[in-house]
Amino acid sequence: MNASTIVAAIGFGVVTASILSLGSVGFTLQYGMSNVFNLAFAGVMGGAEYVALAINHAGLNIWPSMALAALFGGAASAALNKFVYMPFIRRGVKTFGMVIITLSVWTIIQYVILAIVGATASSYQLPSKHLYVVGPIRINGIQIILIVIAVVALALLEVFLRRTLWGKAIRGAATNAPLARASGINVSRIMDATWFISGLFAGIAGVALAMNVASFTYTTSGNFLVVLVAAAILGGVGRPSGAMFGALIVGIATEVSAAIFNPAYKDVTAFVLLALVLVAKPAGLFPEAVQRKEVVL
Amino acid sequence: MSNPVVYYVSLLSVYGAVYAMACAGLSLEFGITGVINFGYIIFQAAGAYTAAVLTLGPSSPSDFQHYVGGAHWPFPLPLIAAAVVGAVLSAGVALLGIRRLRSDYLAIVLLVASLIATTVATNATTLVGGDAGLALVPHPLVSLFGNNAEGVGYNLAYAAGAAVLAAACFVVVHRITESPYGRRLRALRENEFAAAAQGISAFRLHLVVVTAGGAMAGLSGGVLVQYISAWAPSGWLYPETFVFFTALIVGGVANNWGAILGAILVPLGIGEGVRYLPQIGSATLMVALQWIVIGLLPLIIFWFRPQGIIPERRRRFVGARVDAPVSPDSLLEEAELVDPSRMEV
Repeated sequence: MNASTIVAAIGFGVVTASILSLGSVGFTLQYGMSNVFNLAFAGVMGGAEYVALAINHAGLNIWPSMALAALFGGAASAALNKFVYMPFIRRGVKTFGMVIITLSVWTIIQYVILAIVGATASSYQLPSKHLYVVGPIRINGIQIILIVIAVVALALLEVFLRRTLWGKAIRGAATNAPLARASGINVSRIMDATWFISGLFAGIAGVALAMNVASFTYTTSGNFLVVLVAAAILGGVGRPSGAMFGALIVGIATEVSAAIFNPAYKDVTAFVLLALVLVAKPAGLFPEAVQRKEVVL
Repeated sequence: MSNPVVYYVSLLSVYGAVYAMACAGLSLEFGITGVINFGYIIFQAAGAYTAAVLTLGPSSPSDFQHYVGGAHWPFPLPLIAAAVVGAVLSAGVALLGIRRLRSDYLAIVLLVASLIATTVATNATTLVGGDAGLALVPHPLVSLFGNNAEGVGYNLAYAAGAAVLAAACFVVVHRITESPYGRRLRALRENEFAAAAQGISAFRLHLVVVTAGGAMAGLSGGVLVQYISAWAPSGWLYPETFVFFTALIVGGVANNWGAILGAILVPLGIGEGVRYLPQIGSATLMVALQWIVIGLLPLIIFWFRPQGIIPERRRRFVGARVDAPVSPDSLLEEAELVDPSRMEV
């Protein structure tokens, strides 16, 4: 095991981390807003992957396909919350029941995809990728663009949440919904917006994930959910900036462990990290945001 | 009865008994005590592998399948070992997880553990046979039936034996549920802090319950593998745990009869019922439809009958306030879910 292998693995890790951070930030945004631990997030990712596939195979370049798939993810996510989750919450289903419901929805989406596209693997028609070699790090043009997309998207989100009126309303409603309501914020609309934005991230993350592997199936996004949830919990669920750091740690750790041990056990590393962090610090690495708001599943 | 019919009936009975055992254990863990064990299938799988390996005999390098710890144990030792392994693993999880983690994080960690366990079992080809799993597991006591595992007598006897074991699990769970001990478990489920204030040790009760549930899961795996004589990671993916939870929710959470009813209705009824549907497409499509139906079931139940088909019987105490029927949601202390429509100014 020499140093250059590790450096090369860190290079891969940064690519993985940028895809992961898009997903875990979207996931944590929903959770911070609604307290719904939405396992069907992976279903939205999977749906977006195949929407992009259909558009891409119809002849459009992958990048506009990704943008359209992201819009699909946003719409699907907002609709899922408004027309499935909210009615159940209004009917009095509480936290544990909601986990079962999101799990059900995830199962349904996953097997609807299987019923439509079958179990065969698919892949996008990608523009030719130029391979850049910087020392031991080998990275192709598409991966560089994916990293740029992640950085730009996360920066935009951070600015949106910190600087704009809508962003402040989202943070206010996530912290204390009744107080936000009393302050004149239309919580219902803010909630739709939050689920739409997190769905955008799910869509981009899903397509990016599918682009970064040689081929994908209907289970690809589901398997990614393990790592995604690990990253989100690591950063303290409900906190977007924490989720970014969680994604960076998990992404690099999984790739480095893949280089040192067996690549098949990448997800195991994420799980061990998650278990260690939860046992040592049950509220995540950055607990202060969570302490203010009791987060119960 | 002709041979294929007997074989099918006994197959269904064994499956029913296996599901009933597992659901009885999960009913104790989740329904009565409120532990959300999303990794329940791991313990069934562990029991199945244990029973398989302990009857297959030592693994030799020239074999087509490789595993650790092979032995030729006589019946009923492999089944006992399966239950013990299920119990010990569950106790380990309880010791590590339950004390440290909040119930919500524990649920997620167990779900993730379930995904990881299949990853490890698939990729570690010499641990328990890898992706292909273990096959040709010997049937127990088949020598008593002229070494004819396909025979009518053997199949019926196996089904009867499995039913007896399922009944035993049910009686154990039911006796616990109806005893003062069961009352403490329900108290723990309803409000852990209030229960602790009454001197009930949450940790000790959780440990006992999860260990007992794990033993039943392990036993069910052992009984299953010795009948179907094969076991592989594709048979215990994480959605299988979801099937058990669906069974409990459909049958009625926290009612042991509901657990048994759910075990018969959901895995057996839907899994087998799909076979009789007209073959409208490929085999993949049929599998997908089966899972879509299983996914829709909890949604339908939560919408129309959240307490399940057989609701939990509310215990009445003189002078005590009797609440509305229990739904799966009252099993945990709740966070407020954000509902804009309820926030009238």
